[in-house]
Amino acid sequence: MAQVTFFHYIHKDTVLHRMDGRLKLLCMLILSVSSGFATDWWDYLVPLALAAAALIAARLPVIALLKDMRFFAVIILIVMVTNAFTIQGDPIPYFPIRYVSVQGAVTGLRFAGRLILIIMVCTVVTGTTSLLTFKNVIEWYLRPIPFVPEVRVATMINLTFVFIPVIFDSYTEMVNAQKSRCVELRKNPIKRMKFIVFPLLSRTLRRTDEIVYAMESRCYSEVRTRAVFRTNKADWLILAVCIAVLVFVIL
Amino acid sequence: MSVLEVKNLTHIFPDGKEAVKNISLQINDGEFVIIAGSNGSGKTVFIRHLNGLLAPTKGEVLIDGEPITKNIIKARRKIGLIFQDSDSQIVGQTVAEDVAFGPENLNLPVSEVDRIVQEVLETVGLSEMANQSPHTLSGGQKRKLAVAGVLAMKPDIIMFDEPFTGLDYPGVIQVLQQLVELHNAGHTIILVTHELEKVLAHADRLIIIHKGELAEDGDPEDVIYRAESYGVRMPLKNGERVGELTWLR
Repeated sequence: MAQVTFFHYIHKDTVLHRMDGRLKLLCMLILSVSSGFATDWWDYLVPLALAAAALIAARLPVIALLKDMRFFAVIILIVMVTNAFTIQGDPIPYFPIRYVSVQGAVTGLRFAGRLILIIMVCTVVTGTTSLLTFKNVIEWYLRPIPFVPEVRVATMINLTFVFIPVIFDSYTEMVNAQKSRCVELRKNPIKRMKFIVFPLLSRTLRRTDEIVYAMESRCYSEVRTRAVFRTNKADWLILAVCIAVLVFVIL
Repeated sequence: MSVLEVKNLTHIFPDGKEAVKNISLQINDGEFVIIAGSNGSGKTVFIRHLNGLLAPTKGEVLIDGEPITKNIIKARRKIGLIFQDSDSQIVGQTVAEDVAFGPENLNLPVSEVDRIVQEVLETVGLSEMANQSPHTLSGGQKRKLAVAGVLAMKPDIIMFDEPFTGLDYPGVIQVLQQLVELHNAGHTIILVTHELEKVLAHADRLIIIHKGELAEDGDPEDVIYRAESYGVRMPLKNGERVGELTWLR
């Protein structure tokens, strides 16, 4: 997983990297929503062109991303094929398989277009936004909602992302330790799982205790320094373009 | 002058195990104190009382003559603790973010937090790695980051819990250099370790905790000869002196 580049932050100095995280998240929502309103091909092509331009402007490694996205290609293909076969209509002329309809193929392509757009937009946003910014943006959006402890939620999200690699390392270490004691010879997979799940759970819980102590010893408080967001003209311009695309798609 | 005073400290766990038994001592300003003892002797439980992470069953801890329970935040700002497992102490997604965690808890202005982070990262030599994920650091660098996180709170007293565990030779040297530098900068150091051969030369005082009790407390030159009877390896070889017990050359 360490080599996978999609949905990972890649540090660069571009307009999109510097963009205010709150507006960036809003742009992501607007473009994703626009895909839901799309009816003709231009409604798909315009947002897709914008997402592609953003991908290039963000200087993300497009080739590496495309390679990593083979998994999504399979899903998109399944969506297209399922639609093509299940939606009834006129058969495609000269196409050898009779059950594939024109209407099914078109719907399949549209669904694929929506998925590709959402994946591209998410890739641009996650590739240009650090997890810290995400955490701060979530905290900012949650702040006006009553009875939601936004700082606690943001801290929990933060800790989850921090400790996933640590827990994954523990898991790898335990698996290797058990392999070195020939755990493969045990045929029952449930028993094999038991030897991983319980020690991992116990280690994670003990580590959680330590984290709590460590945070307490550094004066953890929910009355914390708030992140400062800076919005410049370019950010507003990008938001305006996204809104314009949404209006174009709706109309 | 005494900065930290422990009076009749006892800690009994809910299962009835007495981890710390009636310990009383004073730590003076600027001292370098080593607390040694075998595994399970109660060293970690003891130091976790000093900044109020654990509450004693009996007794009390005083900072500058005041019980720490009166102002626990003051105690935690004044006494930093570096945990044995750095991975459990690091809570930021980047090196800089982790250092900022403490100052942000204190609700300091953003500009002040940024200044402290920059200053502390320079002090520990991690400025170049400010935007790196802590997960990618080496063991020695992680320990440095843990120290940076504590230094950002501007503590007077810094406690290290087994700082050499799991480190290779360069890692130990890095941590040791940092310990000595912090002491030279005027910090009071409390170091929990049983690896005396690496650091004893720098200590002013050696305390041995055995089965939860204060077994020895005094000049390392005197105490070291009785260390082995408490399960702590005698680090001196024939003709060697305490002043030679360091990995720093």
